[in-house]
Order: sequence, then C-alpha cells, then structure tokens
Amino acid sequence: MSGKRDFAIHRRTVLGAAAAAAAAGVAPPWLARPASAAAGTLRAGITGYNVINTLDPGKHSLIPESYLIWAMFNSLLKFNARMEVVPDLAESFAAKDSTTLSFKLRKGVKFHDGSEMTADDVKFTIERLLDPALASSNKGKVSEVKEVRVVDPHTVEIVTKQAFAPLMAFLTNARTGTQIVPRKVVQAVGNDAFGKQPVGTGAYKLKAWKPGESVTLAAHEGYFVAGQPSMATIEVPLIAEESSGVTALKGGQIDLTSTAPFADIPTLEQDKTLKVLKQPGMNCRFIAVNHRKPPFDDVHFRRAVSMAFDRNAMVKVVLFGEGVPAHGLIPPSLAYAYEGKARATSVFNAERAKAELAKSKYAKEKINVPILTWGSSWWKRIIEVFALQVNQTLGTNFTVEVNEANTVYARQKSGDFQGSVWGWLGLVDPDEYVGEVLSTKGWRNFYGYSNPKVDALAEQGRAELDMAKRGALYKQAEDIAIEEAAVLPCFTSNIHNLMTIKVQGFTQLPYSNFGDQFASIKMG
Amino acid sequence: MPRAALYIAGRLAGALATIAVGALVVFFVMRAASGDPALAVLGENATPEAVAAFRAKHHLDAPLVAQFLIWLAGMLRGDFGLSLTIAGGIPIAQLMAARLPITAFVGLYAVVIAVLISLIMGTIAALRRGRAVDTVATSVAVLGISMPDFWLSYVLVFALALGWKLFPAYGFTSPVDSLAGALYSGFLPALAIAAPMAAVFARMLRTSLLETASREYVVVARSLGFSKPFIFRQYVFRNALIPYVTVIGLQIRYLLGGVVVIERIFGIQGLGSLAVDAAFARDYPTVQACTVVFLGIVLLVNVVVDLVCVALDPRRTL
Amino acid sequence: MRPDAASALGGRRGARLLRSFLGNATAVIGASITLLVLLAASFGAVLMPYGPNEADFLNILSPPSLAHPFGTDSFGRDVLTRVLYGARVSLVVSAAGVALAACVGTSVGMVSAYKGGYADLVLMRFADLLFAFPAFVLALFLMVVLGFGTVNVSVAIALTYFPIFARLSRNMTLLLREEPYVQAARLMAQPTPRILVREILPNIAAPLIVQATIGVAFGIIIEAGLSFLGVGVQPPTPSLGVIMADGREYFQRGPWVLTLTGLAISIALLGLNLFGDGLRDLMDPRLRQRAGQ
Repeated sequence: MSGKRDFAIHRRTVLGAAAAAAAAGVAPPWLARPASAAAGTLRAGITGYNVINTLDPGKHSLIPESYLIWAMFNSLLKFNARMEVVPDLAESFAAKDSTTLSFKLRKGVKFHDGSEMTADDVKFTIERLLDPALASSNKGKVSEVKEVRVVDPHTVEIVTKQAFAPLMAFLTNARTGTQIVPRKVVQAVGNDAFGKQPVGTGAYKLKAWKPGESVTLAAHEGYFVAGQPSMATIEVPLIAEESSGVTALKGGQIDLTSTAPFADIPTLEQDKTLKVLKQPGMNCRFIAVNHRKPPFDDVHFRRAVSMAFDRNAMVKVVLFGEGVPAHGLIPPSLAYAYEGKARATSVFNAERAKAELAKSKYAKEKINVPILTWGSSWWKRIIEVFALQVNQTLGTNFTVEVNEANTVYARQKSGDFQGSVWGWLGLVDPDEYVGEVLSTKGWRNFYGYSNPKVDALAEQGRAELDMAKRGALYKQAEDIAIEEAAVLPCFTSNIHNLMTIKVQGFTQLPYSNFGDQFASIKMG
Repeated sequence: MPRAALYIAGRLAGALATIAVGALVVFFVMRAASGDPALAVLGENATPEAVAAFRAKHHLDAPLVAQFLIWLAGMLRGDFGLSLTIAGGIPIAQLMAARLPITAFVGLYAVVIAVLISLIMGTIAALRRGRAVDTVATSVAVLGISMPDFWLSYVLVFALALGWKLFPAYGFTSPVDSLAGALYSGFLPALAIAAPMAAVFARMLRTSLLETASREYVVVARSLGFSKPFIFRQYVFRNALIPYVTVIGLQIRYLLGGVVVIERIFGIQGLGSLAVDAAFARDYPTVQACTVVFLGIVLLVNVVVDLVCVALDPRRTL
Repeated sequence: MRPDAASALGGRRGARLLRSFLGNATAVIGASITLLVLLAASFGAVLMPYGPNEADFLNILSPPSLAHPFGTDSFGRDVLTRVLYGARVSLVVSAAGVALAACVGTSVGMVSAYKGGYADLVLMRFADLLFAFPAFVLALFLMVVLGFGTVNVSVAIALTYFPIFARLSRNMTLLLREEPYVQAARLMAQPTPRILVREILPNIAAPLIVQATIGVAFGIIIEAGLSFLGVGVQPPTPSLGVIMADGREYFQRGPWVLTLTGLAISIALLGLNLFGDGLRDLMDPRLRQRAGQ
C-alpha cells in the first residue's frame, strides 16, 4: 500500500442496491440516523463453539467472541471484499512519515449509550491494550506503538517505534482487539463489567446473554451508516456441534451459520432452499516439527517427509475437496504475499523423498514418531492421512497421538513433542506468518527453526510500506524456509457460511467474518 | 414423628459428609489433570504476563490446600464462586439457576414418558404372561436397553424431524420461557432418553408384579374370594410399585449425567453438559459446583425414594 | 463343605441348570445371538477381503453395495470390516473393565462384609460416593484426568461398575456369613481367605455373573459414548464408538455408517441382554420355581 494514498471515500459492500446508494460517500450524520426501519429477527447460529467469556474487544481471544464483537464494535479501519484496508470509524487516513499514521475520524458516530466517539476514545483504546493491568492477549497487535496523539477531537495520530507496516491490518475490525471502546463507560464500570455489558459503536448492541447458550443483539438505532441495520433483533444460539448446526438450519431453527462441516458441502450446495458461501480462508494448516529433537533435527529427514505425502489427496480426503494445497504458510487471500506456485519440497515425490531419506541420519532404522493432534474432527484426520501416506512412502512408523488442543499447544510451547499438527486462523498480516512463525525470535516459532536470511527478510518486510515489494520479501523468505522444510505446510481450507435463501447482504471475507455483516443483513 | 425426623436428619448428615468427601476428591483429582485454564480463556496469543495475571487473580498460583480452603469457605457462605473458563466471570450460581430447570424439566418429561410406556407394557406383559403379547413387550423392552440412546436420537431426528418435519431437529426452548415450547421442542430428546428407561421400568414392573402375585397374602386374598381387579389393584399392584419406584429413583444418575451426548445433539443446555464442558475447559470451580449439586440431588432423591417406599409399604414405618 | 463334595454337587446342579436353560427360550435366543456375535467378532474380520484400516481414497462414503454391505466411511474403508474389528475392540475394552470391576469390587465387598468394622464403613462409603456420581460424567472426568485412550476407557468402565459389584457381593456375603457351613468353617479355624474363596464365593457367583453379563453390555454403550465424544478409543483403532463418531460427523452425507453400526450394536447387545435375563431367571430360585409351575 502506498503510504500517501488517501481514502476519502467510504464504500461498503452492501448487496441491497438502495442501501448501498444511501451509504455511498460520506453520509452526513443526520442522514445516518433515519427513522429506523429495523424489523424482524435473524437467527444467526455460531456453530462449532459454545464458550464466550467476554465481549470486551481488548480482553477477548476466542473466535466466537470475535464473531459478536465485530457486530457491536468498529475499528478505525476494516477490510473490504478484496481484503484491502479501507476506513471505517476513520473517514480517511494517511501516512505522515514512515512511523506516523494520521487518522481523520468520522463525525457524529455514537456509542450505544448515545455519547459521541472521539479521538480521545481511540487513544484510550490503544493505551488500554498496552496497559499491563489489562493483561490483554491482543497486546502484541499494538506493541510497536510508541504514542497516540490527539490532535483535535476528530484527528488522531499513531506513532510507532519504527516503520511498522502490519499496523494498518491490526487496526481493522478483525481478530485484532483494536475495536474502539468508550473511555467514559470503561472507566466507570471497570474492565470486568465492561466485558459483560459492552458498549460500542457497532450496528447492534447487546440485549441478552445466556452463557453457553445464546446471545441476543438489538439494533443500534444511532448507527452511523444510513439505512443500517435492518433487523430489529439478532439471536445468536451457540451450537457446539457443527453437524447440529446443519441440522438446525435444515430444520428451520436458524437462518445462518458461521461454519459448516466440509463433507456436507456438496449435498448442501444441491439444496435449493439454502445458499452456501465459500472461499479459501485466511488460515494455514501445517505439520509442526521440532528441530531440536530427532528425527526432525535433520534437514534431509524433514525434506523426505515433506515430499512423502500428497497434499492434493489430503485436501480430497480430509476436506472433501474444500480447500487448496499449501506450499507455504501465507494463504491465498493475502494475494500480494501469496506464492501460488508449488515449491519443489512441498509436492509429493516418492523418488526424491526416498533419496532424501537415504541421505539423512535416520536412513537405517524404522523410526517411531508420534505426531500430536486433537479433537474428534478433521484435525485428527489430517494426521491420520499424513501418517498413513508417510509410512507408505518411507516405511517409517508415524503414529497418531491424540490429546486435548490445549495440551497439544502447551507441549509445542515447551518443546515436548516431535511432530504435531497446527494451524493459525485469521492472522491478517503476512508478518504474522513469516515474522512470527518462521523467524528465529518469532513468538509463534516454538520449533527451533532459525535462518539469518529469513530473519533479515522478515525484518525488511515489517518496515516496507509498499505492498508489492513487501509481498516479494515474504515470498522470498518462504522460499528459503520451505526448501529447508522448516514446517510442512498442508493446505488452506475453505471457510463456509450456510444460510437460507432469504438471507441477503452477507459478504463473506476470508478471515471467516461473521458479526461484521449483521449491519448489512436483510431478510428477503 | 420424632423418629422420622431423626431418620431424615441422619440421612441428611450422611449425605453432607458424602458431598464433602466427593468435593475434596474431585478437587484434587481435577488438579492432577494436565491443562491450564488460563490458556483456555486467553487463547494462543496470550503473553506470559497475561497468563500470570489470570492465575494470580483466580488464586491458581496458591498452594492446592489453600485453594481448596478458599473454595470451601465460599461454599459455606453459600457462594459457588465465579466461572473461570466457560462463562468467564459469571457467578456459577447463575449458571446453575439457568441449567437446573432445564435438566429437571427434560428429566421429568422423560420419566413421565417412560413411566407411561412402562406401566402399560409392564402390566400387560405380566397379566398376559407367556402369551405373544408378553413376548413382544419383553423383547421390545430388552431392545430398548440395547440401543445406544444417542444413536436412537439420530434415528429420531432423521425420521421425525428431518424426514416428516413433525418436530424441531435442533434447539430447546427453556420451560422458563415457554412451557408449550419446551414440551414441543423437548419431545424428541425426552423420547430418546425415555426409551432405555422405559425398558428398564417395564422389565422391573413385570418381574415385580409376577413375584407379588405369587405371594402368600395374594393367594389368601384370592381364596377369600375377592374380585380379581380388586386384588390386583389393592394388593398386587401397590406392592409391586415399591421396587418400581426404587428403580425410577436410581435413574436420576442417568438423567443428570448419562444424557450428555443427547444434550449435545439437541442443543439442550443441561447440567451434565455444563459439568463436562467445565471439565474439558478446566473450569475448576464450575466442576466443583457441579459435583456438589450432582451429589446433592442424587442423595436427596435417594431419601425421597425411601420415604415413598415406606409410604407405599403398609408393613413398614420409619 | 469339602471340595470334592462341592464339585459333585456342582456337577448335578450344572446338569439341571443346563436342562432348564434349554427350556428357557429367552436364554437360548440370547445365547445364540451372543455366540454368533462372538464368532463374528473373533473370525468375521479375517474372512473379509479388506483390512480395517485399508483406506480407499477413491471410494469415500460410498453407499452400501454388494462389495461393501455397510458402505464405506469417510476414508473409504469398509464399514462392515471395521464393525467386525470394532466389535472385538469394544468387547475386549468393556469386558476388561467389567472384569476388573468384578474382581476388585467383589473382593472388597466380601472382605468388607466379612470383617466389618471401620474398613467396612470406609470402603462402603467410597463405593457409595462413586455410586452417587452420574456414571457417564464420572467416566468423562476420568478421561480428562487420565488422558484419552483404550486402557483408560476400561479403567473408567471399571470404576463405574466397581460400586455395583462391591455392594452386591457385600450384601450377599452378609447373608451368607451366618449360614451354618460358613460358621462351621470358621469354627474349624480355617483362614479367612480360604473361607471367602471356598465357601462364600461359589454361593454368590451366580448373581455376580448375571451382573457381569449385563455390565458388559452397558460397558459397550459407555465405550461407544466416550469414543463418540472423541475421548475414548483413538483412531485408527476401530471401536464401535469410534466408527459411530466418524459416522456422525458425516451423517448428512453418509447416514449408513452411523445407522448400520448402531443397528449392529443394538443386535449384539440385544443378545447379551437376553442372555443375561435368561441367566437371571434361571438363577433366581423364586422365579425358577414359578417357571416350573
């Protein structure tokens, strides 16, 4: 993204043409609050999850929490349908110099309690994330911020310690925690209480919350986009089982789901009463290997294993075709940094795999390697298919070891593993893949992989504001890391939303968005 | 009746002791399990400081014995504490208050269905002993306990909800919100839960009717020339109900915990699911609270069942 | 009672039992189904042309056909083959659990009743505590603590059944303790273990065996439930629960996996339960008496 580009136009991707026309351009505040026509109830099930601990953007960490926070809050920026960063609460933004981003805020944006959102709330939001007292899981998103300056009530400048390109992505209404919260309310009620009775600028406000069961949202009449929202109430049941979500949708108990089981997609797509939205998601599923322990301490062995399984077969069997094979960590939806072509060591090649094995320290023995996984779902299937294929190709004895996801994560962090399935979801900046997973000091690099060249490229990438140049740096870094089989990328899976044909105005984004579309949703 | 009061007091004291020991055992056993509630709440991005702050806030860094005493002190004040990981910061008492009516309703619904089915089946089978009706009823009863209940749930959903669209396939309306809605949306799960229970009840009723019918006092009554229906009602049925009621009482354990899978399938937010979710998310105080409530309910039901049996049995007093 | 006398008496009793067993339709049908299931579980899988983990990625979730009577699952594996293997796994897991519960529970119950005193009080309170806890939740808690896996499923089943065996054997031992032949043995200063094993155990074995038969059936359901939730037996080992869990996940697309596996379980357990019922009828003297009416 060129530093000086100025986004004066706010363009929402609304499907309803009339609403889109009304919302195009910067709507004056009085027009933004029409006599509300919000009516009716949408039942939007969160499927696959049933735990929500907090609805405070700063404190939250779980996916279903994000789903709802997106409906009740806005950030300064947001992603459009092409995954470009565009203004949201900001009217426009520009890079003043390499370390300062300046934001002009929209005027007349109201929080749910009727008070106006100002630059001071932006300052408060970011400083709160940095405050050790909050102990936020999202602190890392703003840890490069040095200062937040309020220039006037509708202008704010964010200064970083050094040039930090990922910041723009981190200020969007995604899984960032940088959604703007009202200083007055948070300070009045305290952090804990705010998580239970959140107040944001979003199209919907919290009406009721039954823990483990459902959340009910009500239209925010003072929402700053004209003509939105159109539903009076949104009921969000929390459905732990994905397959039950499908049952509920087909049985008419809900109108929309946040996910769908891969295997059911072909049949669901045949169903004329339903719509299926899908695209490769912002995720990477890979086999993490421990470089500090045998046998994955040997680059030849790693390469051999990487070439010993067929990622296409994996997509077919694990995902029932709902995904694309991966040859790096960065997913296709980050188009500017995505290497579409297969890399030599990330494609199935039995001959070369055996040749690499012969070169390794572990050529002579039949090696037992437990690979960690969890769940009853497709996470387990990845390893089942992986172990089966690798054993077939190399004559090794890879086995499946199932634990709870928490335990698997803890064991990765402490280095108590040889191989494990893993994946990150909804990371919106390439730095989070290359800089955090593959570079020596990356906090997501639990594997002991270290290559100074990769480190240097990641460093450059963080400082480069030009998107095309940035992308090239990351591709180069991935070339090196994958050639050494730092991790064994498997695939990027599709994300899905199911809905009845009546549901209009839901635009799916690759990071598996959900609640952020409630504003534009209508029932036809 | 001071004797009855004394009896009940003794039973309750025993129950309290059992609950206390149960809570103690569950406390230390759960802590022995690996896993960290902080990770469950804070997610993978959590910084070490955030994890430390969480642990300090919830006393997870204190010695185990101290943690148990803190919990116990809360319990003695009637305070279940706050949920850690599955509804972070929400009073567990509030979770319980929402879940208890649901579990009670579904359980009662299932018991009523099971009792209705079993009374008819068991009585007919006993009266027509050895005939075809008996064989069919007995076989169906055995089949009832042979089918995994969660499998039956899927078959019911497949046929009655998705096929004929007679009932909702998913979702349960709390009886607190709408009784009619709860009766309607709870029918399929209640039926699935009732099936194995009805089988057990019917078998028990049949056996116990047959056994009572051969008792001496019934033979005497018969020889005195009382009418058959009178004997059946007054002597046979009444006495046969004693083991029947006992068996119904025993099902409370199944209703609290055995139906977790069915709760999952139908999206019922029962106590069993709460306990299991809490255990998996290492929500220690919620697990503790569930333990106490489970043991409390089971032991209470045991006492009630005993009292009912005494009331039914003319020969017994407390 | 001397051993030879006991065995002679046992022999006569055995013959009589066998006769009345053959006269009991329920028991015979149950035994036949159980035998068939045992045969199928033991040898059926060998006769199948497929291996239980033989994946065929080109034939994922294909409906029942001549080649695959139960269809194929989400890895393209033959479901019937897996059910046959899985039945063996489930049976072994459940039987091991129940056997463990029976051994430990019976010993504890007998010793507890025979010795009395504080040991009795403590052991029985412990059994009561276990018994008061909802069985499936107890099993799930144990899986959380012990970790997932086949052996732990057996342990969970054992802990669930332990109180039942302990109580049953205790109550019956209490009754038998005052019987003349037990008193006689005691007066002859026979060591306690000998009295328990020689005099008491044979006389309380019958109801325990009945309980064990039915226990194995319920154990299979517990295994299925645990594996169904993904915390029990772990893939690729097929158990009936694992197969059903897989079938549930792909229920919309391949309903036959769950439906047919469940049906197979129901039939197998029907056999076991009928067998157990028949045995109970035979061993309950009052019922036997009436059966002869």
